[in-house]
Amino acid sequence: MASSDASPGSPRPRPLSPHLSVYRPTMTMAMSIAHRISGAALYVGVLLLAWFLIAVSSDASSFAVFSDFISSFIGRLTLFVITWALFHHLVSGVRHILWDAGYGLDAPLRDQMAWATAIGGFALTILVWATGFAVR
Amino acid sequence: MTNRSSDLRTPLGRVRFLGSARTGTMDAWLIHLTSVALVPLTLGFVWLMLDLLSKDYNGVRAELASPISAILLLAFILAGIIHMELGMRSIIVDYIGGQTRAWALAANTCFAALLALACVYATLRVAFT
Repeated sequence: MASSDASPGSPRPRPLSPHLSVYRPTMTMAMSIAHRISGAALYVGVLLLAWFLIAVSSDASSFAVFSDFISSFIGRLTLFVITWALFHHLVSGVRHILWDAGYGLDAPLRDQMAWATAIGGFALTILVWATGFAVR
Repeated sequence: MTNRSSDLRTPLGRVRFLGSARTGTMDAWLIHLTSVALVPLTLGFVWLMLDLLSKDYNGVRAELASPISAILLLAFILAGIIHMELGMRSIIVDYIGGQTRAWALAANTCFAALLALACVYATLRVAFT
């Protein structure tokens, strides 16, 4: 090999994965990160579902403890964040399925889909909480 | 992989174009399958939770004990926790290396399995008692 950039015996460094810091931030990049963060949030959020189900299956006093927590400010804030993470991850996941199918990868549409993800996640969260307060 | 000294190709050159490391396809298939299944299941789950808001303890129990609610909940839990385990696995593989990776992967699987068992147990207990 005639290349001069590698000393004998040591391999030439391979190109690494794209580093976030060398790219201009884009909406699709932001939504990719948001997809992962919302997924990680749901990983923790499932504990709340487990607590709810175990409390219901136990007795009325266990359920009252859960009910008091979820009605408190901290409980509602936690549930609101989990609701957002759930809907953001849902809408974002649909976008990824469409992309995997080869649809919507072209320049204007992929950014529009990324924006739709961001807006859709918040819109569905607000819709569900408004419905929740209405039917409560 | 054989690494004879007579082979002049680099390690990268030897593995290139040989495809995946054989077992990755199932993970990719499962995370996609559960993601599609979770679209209707999540909407059904949220609908069920909204329906529970106006109910007291006995009302919640009665609602969750109905076959449709219980089966929806079980499907949501199983698909969701499989999806969650696979998703966290890809996060771990991306950011953690070496010995720590093995421990993190083991902890992830154990956490997901325990969580799934706890949720399924509680759901069945509500349904059958």
